[in-house]
Amino acid sequence: MNVGVAHSEVNPNTRVMNSRGMWLTYALGVGMLHIVLLSIPFFSVPVAWTLTNVIHNLGMYVFLHAVKGTPFETPDQGKARLLTHWEQVDYGVQFTSSRKFFTIAPIILYFLTSFYTKYDPTHFIFNTASLLTVLIPKLPQLHGVRIFGINKY
Amino acid sequence: INHIVHNGGLYKRPFNEAFEETPMLVAVLTYVGYGVLTLFGYLRDFMRQWKIEKCQNATEREEQKDFVPLYQDFENFYNRNLYMRIRDSWNRPICSVPGAKVDMMERVSHDYNWTFTYTGRVIKDIINMGSYNYLGFAQNAGACQEAAAKVLSQYGAGVCSTRQEMGNLDKHEELEKLVARFLGVESAMAYGMGFATNSMNIPALVGKGCLILSDELNHASLVLGARLSGATIRIFKHNNMQSLEKLLKDAIVHGQPRTRRPWKKILILVEGIYSMEGSIVRLPEVIALKKKYKSYLYLDEAHSIGALGPSGRGVVEYFGLSPEDVDVMMGTFTKSFGAAGGYIGGKKELIDYLRTYSHSAAYATSMSPPVVEQIITSVKCIMGEDGTTVGKARVQQLAENTRYFRRRLKEMGFIIYGNEDSPVVPLMLYMPAKIGAFGREMLKRNIGVVVVGFPATPIIESRARFCLSAAHTKEMLDTALKEINEVGDLLQLKYSRHRLVPLLDRPFDETTYEETED
Repeated sequence: MNVGVAHSEVNPNTRVMNSRGMWLTYALGVGMLHIVLLSIPFFSVPVAWTLTNVIHNLGMYVFLHAVKGTPFETPDQGKARLLTHWEQVDYGVQFTSSRKFFTIAPIILYFLTSFYTKYDPTHFIFNTASLLTVLIPKLPQLHGVRIFGINKY
Repeated sequence: INHIVHNGGLYKRPFNEAFEETPMLVAVLTYVGYGVLTLFGYLRDFMRQWKIEKCQNATEREEQKDFVPLYQDFENFYNRNLYMRIRDSWNRPICSVPGAKVDMMERVSHDYNWTFTYTGRVIKDIINMGSYNYLGFAQNAGACQEAAAKVLSQYGAGVCSTRQEMGNLDKHEELEKLVARFLGVESAMAYGMGFATNSMNIPALVGKGCLILSDELNHASLVLGARLSGATIRIFKHNNMQSLEKLLKDAIVHGQPRTRRPWKKILILVEGIYSMEGSIVRLPEVIALKKKYKSYLYLDEAHSIGALGPSGRGVVEYFGLSPEDVDVMMGTFTKSFGAAGGYIGGKKELIDYLRTYSHSAAYATSMSPPVVEQIITSVKCIMGEDGTTVGKARVQQLAENTRYFRRRLKEMGFIIYGNEDSPVVPLMLYMPAKIGAFGREMLKRNIGVVVVGFPATPIIESRARFCLSAAHTKEMLDTALKEINEVGDLLQLKYSRHRLVPLLDRPFDETTYEETED
């Protein structure tokens, strides 16, 4: 039990999103991504914003909703092995501050993107689709749900 | 500024504990570091899977690839991509007695720490800042060693039986009486392994229907013992008496979860010194709470016996309290006495019960006679009964070393956690790359340290842990401090802004951060 660790926390992954400075680092990371995309001369401002939104949502989907389990062994005998990181946050307790923050962040990014793309229809379709891929898995009703058995094991 | 709390006269001396907050820039950079390492880890895994890079960890045979996977790939991610890079700071083979100076076998790796080869050279006289050698009894010469050698030639090395069968030597009885006298309790019992003392005796004391209140940072042996017992476990914040009192009140008011029946027993599990934080338990307050709410106290003095208190009797003497207030006093002989094993001390009825019902007593082989003699000689030395003042001098030397070392490190500007009087000194490193760099740089300068990172500690709080010893002379400490200073400048480890969180009326928890931002 808890081999080699100095605390009685069963799954440290549950506390990572609450640690000091994580939210700031996340915001700075998104800002950095946006600046890099804005610096590429081929992209106009709307394209850069749409790309930021889409890449951010893609990254969030992969790391929070696709990758399952923990990158280290935990003493919980595999309870968290089939859970994505989002499902592991705070041991499955819904509506904690970290969950609220990471739900609101893509929404704010979506608002900014919609503004800077001047509500253009093509951009709108891409941005909305990408926002939905990242918002729907966060709903409490979808905790532990695997549609069509994708990503189940 | 460092307000010192006296808490209504419970504390007879100032209780100075400080856990300086992580600077925000350092926290952000630490996450960036882990993020970069994760991305590179994914890249390397991709290259390994597509055979661009040779895969050196365990995989299944070709014919088994279609079966259910034998090795969990992702659970090994951290091990493969982060731990392997800095693996040479751990499991270092030493080849002499781990006293104040130790010899180490030099090893090199030609494939980035996947395999090691020995060069054949032995690095001599490394200053040992990692061994739990608080009173310097890890010696291969001297009175303890001579007595142990005599007993070895008389009794042999093995006992070949359990305490309850044929393994109860007169040496064990002598040891237990001596330990009881040393601690000031009625009776004591000794076991062969410190970990097994906790994990095998807590199930004998509590069971289903009892409640265990255990500190957040309790050792794995206490956690294992608590889980094995089948009792309900509730965890209170580290050293936080408000959290403990709230849990006690809730437990007594609400009773057991569904049936609302009163709990059969409430046992509070705390440690004397927490070895990863360097903090000392607030024992006067715990005992006051225990008496008010009529629960039992189990004190694990693994690191504090011999290391605290004016005559080395542990944390109870350090606070000037009576050992009768602690129901179960547990400790180990591994740290300050230079031997192996653990003991439990308490009332005679309790120890007689444990002699019959404890798993260690019934199934585990009893302690080896030379080890028992080492403990007997060292305890007599500490108590002064061998006719010399060596024991008292060692205890005083440890206290001086502790104060000096901590003061100098704080002056240099490092962030040091823990209580002013604890001989365990964690120095914060924070970033993952600095963990490996610090261990290697210190070894280059002939100083051996223990470094710890995630997931053993919280993600942004990796640290190097120094364990001071009475065997360290001032010259050794000065050399070590000089090298730590150099490495600190090289790796930019001096994060402290001398903004020690003042000890408020309530202890340190995450809600005190907001008040000290000035």
